[in-house]
Amino acid sequence: MQTIKLKIKEEVTSGVAKIPVEVDSLTPDTLAGKTEAEIKAVKVWWGNKEENTGDLFDVSVEGEAGSAEEVKIVLEGDLSRVKHIGDGMNAGEIEALGDVDMHCGAMMSGGKITVKGCADCWAGREMHGGELVIEGDAGDNLCAMYRGEMTGMTGGKVTVGGSAGECVAQNMAGGEIEIKGNAYILTGLNMKGGKITIEGDAVMPGADMTGGKITVKGNVRDMIPSFRLEGTESIEGEEYKKYTGDLAMTEKKAKGVLYVK
Amino acid sequence: MVEGELLIRNGVVYDPINGVKGEKKDICIRDGKVVEEVKNPKIIDAEGRVVMPGGVDIHSHIAGGKVNSGRLFRPEDGRKGVKARTKVCRPESGYSVPNTFATGYRYARMGYTFVMEAAMPPLAARHTHEELVDIPILDNAALPLLDNNWMTMEYVKSGDMDLLAAYIAWMIKATKGFGVKIVNPGGTEMWGWGKNCSLNDTVPTFDVTPAEIIKGLAEANEKFDMPHSIHVHTNMLGHPGNFEITKETYDLVKGVKAAKGRQVMHTTHTQFHSYGGTNWGDFESKADAIADYINQNDHATIDIGSIILGDTTTMTADGPMEYSLYQITGRKWTNHDVELETGSGITPFLYSGKSPVNTIQWAIGQELALLVKDPWKLALTTDHPNAGPFIGYPILISMLMSKKRRDESAEDMHKVIYDRAALPSIDREYDLNEIAIITRGMTAKALGLHEHGKGHLGVGADGDVAIYDMSPEERDAGKIQKAFLNTKYTIKGGEIVVKDGEVVATPAGKTYFVTPECDDKLTDEMMVKLKDKFDHYYSVTFNNYAVQDAYVPNPYEIKAPWRS
Repeated sequence: MQTIKLKIKEEVTSGVAKIPVEVDSLTPDTLAGKTEAEIKAVKVWWGNKEENTGDLFDVSVEGEAGSAEEVKIVLEGDLSRVKHIGDGMNAGEIEALGDVDMHCGAMMSGGKITVKGCADCWAGREMHGGELVIEGDAGDNLCAMYRGEMTGMTGGKVTVGGSAGECVAQNMAGGEIEIKGNAYILTGLNMKGGKITIEGDAVMPGADMTGGKITVKGNVRDMIPSFRLEGTESIEGEEYKKYTGDLAMTEKKAKGVLYVK
Repeated sequence: MVEGELLIRNGVVYDPINGVKGEKKDICIRDGKVVEEVKNPKIIDAEGRVVMPGGVDIHSHIAGGKVNSGRLFRPEDGRKGVKARTKVCRPESGYSVPNTFATGYRYARMGYTFVMEAAMPPLAARHTHEELVDIPILDNAALPLLDNNWMTMEYVKSGDMDLLAAYIAWMIKATKGFGVKIVNPGGTEMWGWGKNCSLNDTVPTFDVTPAEIIKGLAEANEKFDMPHSIHVHTNMLGHPGNFEITKETYDLVKGVKAAKGRQVMHTTHTQFHSYGGTNWGDFESKADAIADYINQNDHATIDIGSIILGDTTTMTADGPMEYSLYQITGRKWTNHDVELETGSGITPFLYSGKSPVNTIQWAIGQELALLVKDPWKLALTTDHPNAGPFIGYPILISMLMSKKRRDESAEDMHKVIYDRAALPSIDREYDLNEIAIITRGMTAKALGLHEHGKGHLGVGADGDVAIYDMSPEERDAGKIQKAFLNTKYTIKGGEIVVKDGEVVATPAGKTYFVTPECDDKLTDEMMVKLKDKFDHYYSVTFNNYAVQDAYVPNPYEIKAPWRS
């Protein structure tokens, strides 16, 4: 087991402009088997300049790892301008001790990321597998597809301790999302598959959905009118209204299911 | 053009226009032009490597309103092909709709030095030229769309061919265009009413047929010494059974006499127009029927518009066709009307080897190339990006050169290829001389650019040379593809622009445009009608219409005198 601590240097984040750092090159897959000196030499983008990890982060390494599964990366300091944490990772673990910037866990296919704070937009974007835990709030487009793409999240599990922003899981095709708080407008927009559970409230969930399942345990505001009430069903001992839709996508395609209290 | 001397030594040269078929030969360049000999040159050792003139693409959509709309509405395409800037190059992005920089670099890396933008809406000519200026390295030109135009249709109706000639002359000058482009004549006008039309249907708003429009424009074009013939996207693109319409279109202009020793009609992306069957269920290849026609007649040339499997962005002035495609896929679609002139549509499309229809389409493009006997009648294209991005040319070259590769590829396709396409039964393999013809010799000749130093390496030609890192004996399809994707050297106007597959210099390209010279009296008479159109219908005034010289900072003018 190997633990790699990366503490962002204060001078990196203290500037007026707050230039973002992109760390998609710092995953357990890429760092496994590397020495401290080698990790310090890995290139990361800081704004439009490519820098050495060692110039932007204090690096410390404990233990040894034979493969990515045995690597845990701990990110410390002010991470609010650190983007692409765990982007594309396949195995191992990343822990971010604070709020993180956009694209955390984007395109990940395995391993686990824990954010001990809030995550900005596009967390879990186009995720294929693995687990993403955001203890605070998530921004817009959580687990959605990037602009223009046809498919969002296809697999894996995402848990949000707080609330999530707009267009959660747009074009989602598989996997599972659990939001403990509220989800803002258009959760599951154009969703094709997968499962979303919202413990709190939701606004206009399931618009244009053609597959998958959304459960809203709190209140639904502005329910989409093109859903059909099919009856009631009991989930974990509570009664829910079961709707199918979105019939705006034609009767034939309206295979989505929406449970509302 | 750069000053100084260059000697390309001991290459195996393929220069079909000058009849050079793989001879070991030196090429001398001084001040950007090919010369007999040089005294104190910089030397490039091309020992045993394939040397050809710079490639000339006859039909590609690389600049203008619809290309840019394609980029804007396909951000997901922009994610592909991203390459960071270098000391020389600006950043690249995009695959089927690459940014302007990537367009220039990628063509140059494949050894191309001239590309024709195949469809310029006249009203958007400024935008087209702005993008052409932004494309590094490549010499370029653009064909204005003149067929669904109200003025054209009115003159065709009244039979005033001289006035029609005066009109197209004025439009080609006003747009800094190169020739006459025709796209689904009548059909784009009908699309303004939610309809489409075939070759002999009447366009009710103007009481003319597409056949009359094509014939009229062919006659008007040949009234000048135009370097290029009319360039036609025939009616009913992509409809099963359309091969009859394509053949009938060729027959229309059989009697028209060419101004120069060239074709009187170039039909483009002929793959999309060689379809048999009555619906997508019994859809089949009719490439053989089209190839037979081309083999038996000398007045028409074609480019193949061959499919590259994978995702692409379709874009054309053929608005109704794009709508039909959108109805099949249900993916995003956008559409545009260009006032009195033309229109356009764009939708993404995935060509899949698992689809029987796409499989047959894939076969047709290659069948055309293999069944047309004389390569001087045929050009290699993918109708970029409609049948696939231009970056797929090396794949096509390797297919045409290797029966083995075609057979291996056919095995991965839908089995319908063995029943409803001829490709698996064709044994012909292209040699390098024929490849040089369909990628530079024929295209330069069909565009009339061989008289202006393009597509060959004779004394006086432009110093545009591609040196491919392969021996002429190479038979391995994979190695052929690799060699044609990234040159050992690309030389443009005597300057090395690509070395070992990397862009090392990015000079600006020239824009070629034609000035048809029309009698003042005819022009004045035509102008009365044209100004009336501006006063009543155009959203811009007459005085603000023509493209100013400033939009073409590196001009190359070709004068086309009146003949009769």
